[in-house]
Amino acid sequence: MSVFTTYFLPVLFAFLSSAAFAVIFNVRGLGVLICSLGGALGWLAYLLSAPLLQSDIAQMFVAAVVISVYAEVMARIRKYPVTGYQLVAILPLVPGGNIYYTMEHAINGEIDAFLSSLLHTMGLAGAIAVGVLLVSSAVRMWSSYHSHV
Amino acid sequence: MDYDVLLNLASDLGYGLMASGAEIYRVEESIQRLLIAYGMEKADPFVIPNCIIVSFLAPGGKTLTQVRRIPSHGTDVDLIERYNDLCRTLCRETPSLEEARRRLLQIGQTRRTYSFPVLLVAYWSVAAFSCLFFGGSPVDGLCSGFCGLAVGLALTGMTRLNANLFFRTMLCAALTGFLALGMSHLIPGSHSQLIIIGGLMALVPGLSFTNAIRDVMAGDMVAGVTKIADALLTGVSIALGTGFALALTRLLWGV
Repeated sequence: MSVFTTYFLPVLFAFLSSAAFAVIFNVRGLGVLICSLGGALGWLAYLLSAPLLQSDIAQMFVAAVVISVYAEVMARIRKYPVTGYQLVAILPLVPGGNIYYTMEHAINGEIDAFLSSLLHTMGLAGAIAVGVLLVSSAVRMWSSYHSHV
Repeated sequence: MDYDVLLNLASDLGYGLMASGAEIYRVEESIQRLLIAYGMEKADPFVIPNCIIVSFLAPGGKTLTQVRRIPSHGTDVDLIERYNDLCRTLCRETPSLEEARRRLLQIGQTRRTYSFPVLLVAYWSVAAFSCLFFGGSPVDGLCSGFCGLAVGLALTGMTRLNANLFFRTMLCAALTGFLALGMSHLIPGSHSQLIIIGGLMALVPGLSFTNAIRDVMAGDMVAGVTKIADALLTGVSIALGTGFALALTRLLWGV
């Protein structure tokens, strides 16, 4: 039961919301499935790395790296631009909840809570950014190495 | 070869890619590859978020340049894929310019989009499943879905009216806030916070943020910084919109 509620359900919801995002951004056919699997995979990585890292910022980084690698691999296999898959699969990771709580603290005038929540949200966004950045520059270096050799 | 036709072809391809939300480096690379494949000596496209400049040196020393302005646009992954595919095919086969032009126009004409009801279902599910994802109960998810539906309707309507991105986001966020507070008031045991979070997910600028990072990494600082500013302002608009809804209801009813 605990495996079901802590792992299976969140991953399933990530899968379904990625699928819905894919439709909104007009991904078609098999692409919808690829994007949704990416979203699910990312969140699975986030959850599985929890006991090891114990910090949601580090976990978010791992998830972003996993999604980016997955998107690059899928794009190579299908000979399609990597962007679509990567962008859509990352959407469920976006810290929507933290943005909301930050705003709520601001409304309530809780300045300390507001600032720490703001910094935490920016940390999460930064972790996603660094994950995406790392993989895309590694791929860039790898492909220019191959085109020179 | 008629260089003017080639110039138009290259800038139309770039325009198509940009208007469907492709990254800057993809647009620049596609234009450059196309021009080189058709035998031009030098090709220097320059692209920033709402402008494309295509310039090339034709054999014989003649230089041609065209500037295209890109209107504000959304993201259409299917179109990016098809234009990208077309560019690869054109570079490989280099068919006659008329044939290339025909294929380019064909992509624009046979644009495949999901029907409006399907899109609404998608908006509903984004909100509902995001709400469940962030820990909402099934009832919260259902309510959140209706906020998402309202956001979808409002976004489509306001896009048709050419509303500004930030105003649009702010208004949708406020709408979500009011709806969520109303529903959580009527339905006992539901959580307004989780409903709002789910409803907002369709507005959150995750896409432009990730795209911005990719642009920065590709070395297109102008585009990257512009898009990061875009993402931050969208985030602020969401906060302002929901904040307005929360503050107003608190002021009027004290909930």
